[in-house]
Amino acid sequence: MHILIVLMESVIIGGLVGFAAGVGAARMFNAPTVQALGAFRTLGEMNAAEGDAASHFSFGLGFFFNAWASTVGAGAFTQDVTHRVIPNWAVSALLLRSKDMNESMHNPKKMGIMSALIGIVVVAFLNVTSSSIPAALQVTAVKVLVPAATLLINMVMPIIFWLAAIDAGRRSGLLGTIFGGLAALIMGNAVPGVVLGILIGKGVEEIGWTRITRIMLGAVILLFILSAFFRGFDVDLLKSFSLSVPQWLTNWHSSMGG
Amino acid sequence: MENDLKDLEQAKSFWFADWAFPIIVGIMSAGVFAGTSMYYNYGVGAFNEVAIVAMLKAGMTDGAYGAAAAFGASFLFARVLEGSLVGILDLGGSILTGVGIGIPAILLSVGFEAPVKSFPLALLTGLIIGVVIGGIIYVVRHFTIGQSKATFGADVMMGAGNDTGRFLGPLIILSAVTASIPIGLGATAGAAIFYAWKKPIAGGAIIGAMILGFFFPVKL
Repeated sequence: MHILIVLMESVIIGGLVGFAAGVGAARMFNAPTVQALGAFRTLGEMNAAEGDAASHFSFGLGFFFNAWASTVGAGAFTQDVTHRVIPNWAVSALLLRSKDMNESMHNPKKMGIMSALIGIVVVAFLNVTSSSIPAALQVTAVKVLVPAATLLINMVMPIIFWLAAIDAGRRSGLLGTIFGGLAALIMGNAVPGVVLGILIGKGVEEIGWTRITRIMLGAVILLFILSAFFRGFDVDLLKSFSLSVPQWLTNWHSSMGG
Repeated sequence: MENDLKDLEQAKSFWFADWAFPIIVGIMSAGVFAGTSMYYNYGVGAFNEVAIVAMLKAGMTDGAYGAAAAFGASFLFARVLEGSLVGILDLGGSILTGVGIGIPAILLSVGFEAPVKSFPLALLTGLIIGVVIGGIIYVVRHFTIGQSKATFGADVMMGAGNDTGRFLGPLIILSAVTASIPIGLGATAGAAIFYAWKKPIAGGAIIGAMILGFFFPVKL
């Protein structure tokens, strides 16, 4: 019964995600005139294997095994299912029928339909096989993957993004450092702050202090203020500097349910 | 000639038009959000990296959803801004992380469990969120398109994002070593075999650790 529900839900999810991934990926070949949904790495990799059904298939297969291991281990598909497995397998299947790019990889309609079918099969397979695995495997996965993942998220990712921001120029380095440090304090992870620092730093470098970049900076500051409030950082901040928390702030927090 | 006319007609159709974009994002979000719902109920099916799903998992076990919520929401915000400017909305950051992890974490942190727990509600919630995000991009795009050719550092972020993946393999081996000696050996051997086969070593490390962990189980 449990398996049946998982299977039914997987079919629905796989169809939806597959369809959107296929259409979005095919539209990338028409960006920026057509707004697309995908990723630069997907675009590059699909171009790299262009025209060869076997290359697309084996490329997807490598990531499929990785996704399978991760799903069995931790229930997480990895982003590769939508980025690499579904689009590349869909192209591979379409190429068997026609070698014309406009009839396969660049055609949103054909990619959408084929990706929906592949999505259904892939998602159902991953979910059904992994929801019936022995407990010893799950324990191993938790013991191995969770510590590794925690280190990756809290230390490795912030450092990589931070160094990238510093190397990208003075503005993104400065803003990345300020927002990164604040994000680590307020949000518990520096990555979002560093990303926003790069975004604004490079934006200012490329187009200068226009209305767009000023609005962006304003929105980012607002985001920080709201996150700080809703995570109770403002109260903690005052307390750690041995200051008293004003009554109106406490009232504000309790009225917001925080 | 007739075919050319047909092509032109198609260019204005659902498959290429900007107005279709919110619908496509809506469909994607519905599926991804429902995937998170399935993860919440059955422990499988989240469309994201182990590391990011682990943040949601942390919230599910001890109720501290702050990290997942802030991480997901900030990524969503940054990617929506970037997506409308460069013409490609980054699927991973915006939908998989933002809608799949950040928004469920926000809902769960304020005790609003129904949209995540119920599968039909999750589909509907995801669809609405996706259409709204797609709509915002549609609007921003129409106000900013042609105004600038800036990339807003998209290349820098893509590069850093791809580098991150490379660290996971060695980290998994290091963490397997602390779990137990057999699991550590299994992870090392698996990674080495995958490397020789020119596959990502993280996958080999996980499979190696699992096989040895099956024969020599450890306690949680």
